[in-house]
Amino acid sequence: MIIKFIKKVFLIDLIIGLLVTLKYTLLPKATIQYPEKVKQPSERFRGLLRLYRNEEGKPLCIACKMCQRTCPQNCFDIEGQKDESNKMRPVKFDWILERCSFCGFCVEACPSDAIRFSKEFRLSTLERSKLIFGISQMYNDYDVQNHFLGDSIKAGKIKEFIK
Amino acid sequence: MNFTMDDIIFTFLIPVAKILFGILFPMIMVVVMVWVERRVVAIIQERLGPNRVGFQGIFQPIADAIKLFFKEDIVQRQSDKLVFNIAPVLTLASILLAFCFIPFGSSMMIGSYNLTFWVAESPVGLMLVLGISSIAVLGIIFAGWSSNSKYPLMGALRGVVQLLSYEIPMGLTVLTVVFMSKSMNLVDIVKTQNEMGIWFAFLMPVSCVVFWIAAVADTNRCPFDLPEGESELVAGFHTEYSGLKFGYFYMGEYAHMILVSSLMVTLFFGGGLPFFPNVGFLSFLHYIPGFFWYFIKLMFFLYFYVWIRGTYPRYRFDELIKLAWKWLIPLSLANILVVALIRMLI
Repeated sequence: MIIKFIKKVFLIDLIIGLLVTLKYTLLPKATIQYPEKVKQPSERFRGLLRLYRNEEGKPLCIACKMCQRTCPQNCFDIEGQKDESNKMRPVKFDWILERCSFCGFCVEACPSDAIRFSKEFRLSTLERSKLIFGISQMYNDYDVQNHFLGDSIKAGKIKEFIK
Repeated sequence: MNFTMDDIIFTFLIPVAKILFGILFPMIMVVVMVWVERRVVAIIQERLGPNRVGFQGIFQPIADAIKLFFKEDIVQRQSDKLVFNIAPVLTLASILLAFCFIPFGSSMMIGSYNLTFWVAESPVGLMLVLGISSIAVLGIIFAGWSSNSKYPLMGALRGVVQLLSYEIPMGLTVLTVVFMSKSMNLVDIVKTQNEMGIWFAFLMPVSCVVFWIAAVADTNRCPFDLPEGESELVAGFHTEYSGLKFGYFYMGEYAHMILVSSLMVTLFFGGGLPFFPNVGFLSFLHYIPGFFWYFIKLMFFLYFYVWIRGTYPRYRFDELIKLAWKWLIPLSLANILVVALIRMLI
């Protein structure tokens, strides 16, 4: 009773509240300053689809069209041709980002592990036509090496990665 | 008619410069405060706040002002156009007017001329400041009524009830300061604090706390920002305003905060006096201009405003009125009795 009265008279609870916010002013901030600092995407992050190469730099895709067949939204338009060493390689590999729901069926279906999710999360463009990815963009080598954010590292925009 | 150079300087240029300072200082502080508020609230909430425009985002308020300037000026068809247009000007102008009685620092002798850091000195300066700044209530009523819309009207009515309730404890606590200094002249109040060697805040802590609570409520700030209650009334009394007219209300609110903080500094924290004015070995602090000390204390209270905003949840309206009438007014009345008794015995 007396403690309650003293608390009320000397505004103890209000002062404790002020001290709590004072503590939070001194704590490190949660904000990540995006263009300079980028949070590393998680291990199984589903970014843009990319066609990968093996260690020798040979393309893995054999143009079997399994991804095209399994895709629920019909994102792919693939045409294959035999190259000099008599192996099937895609000559046309269009992927339409507009339709993709990142369900990952293509990644699961791929027999040669060629098509995989990269960690590129910046999907926006200024033109609708850029949402259709051709074969050269699917084989974006620099991006494959760095796994994500290829262009920004090249341009020197990103200074720090945050895990 | 022959004027000497001295006449022109002392009777015209210096007063005009002071008036310009009295207008520009609050306006510049408003710009600074908008930035300080956004940054400090962000820091309290573990964010960073605007930090891209200029150094640490210092030009953010200027960018906001330019954006407001180019916005469409919407006037409702059913509104009372004259009153609708007068209201924002009334709010801002009345508060800027009150700044002319605030002493920004102690006076300074330059040769034979006594340079003062206040625009006007009046034997009833305190009453005038309280009275003139209360004209801002009219601006709120006008804005709410002339908008001819339900949310502004409700916000305005809330604002009026709140302001009228909290003017009473504010006036009563200010009276205790007047008892102590035996003057309503703000300059004399600061002088008395120098002579007594103690700031009135430590002499009369109850008055200080009650004045501050009333001041926060008087400026419609968190946790007493019910006239602008965002969740229930869209934006309160300035819902229908857009563009620069809204900017006027915005500036008026911040200028009011600066005015009330200045009053707090002047009445209870010794205005332009340095810390520990009477301690012997700290007397060198008197050589620093009084404006510096005034500014430091002012910034502390402006920061305190934002700190309070970042800390406390909002009051319910009936609790707000209950706080004023059941706690603050009886407390300040009792405080007056005690202070008057002590003053009589000393």
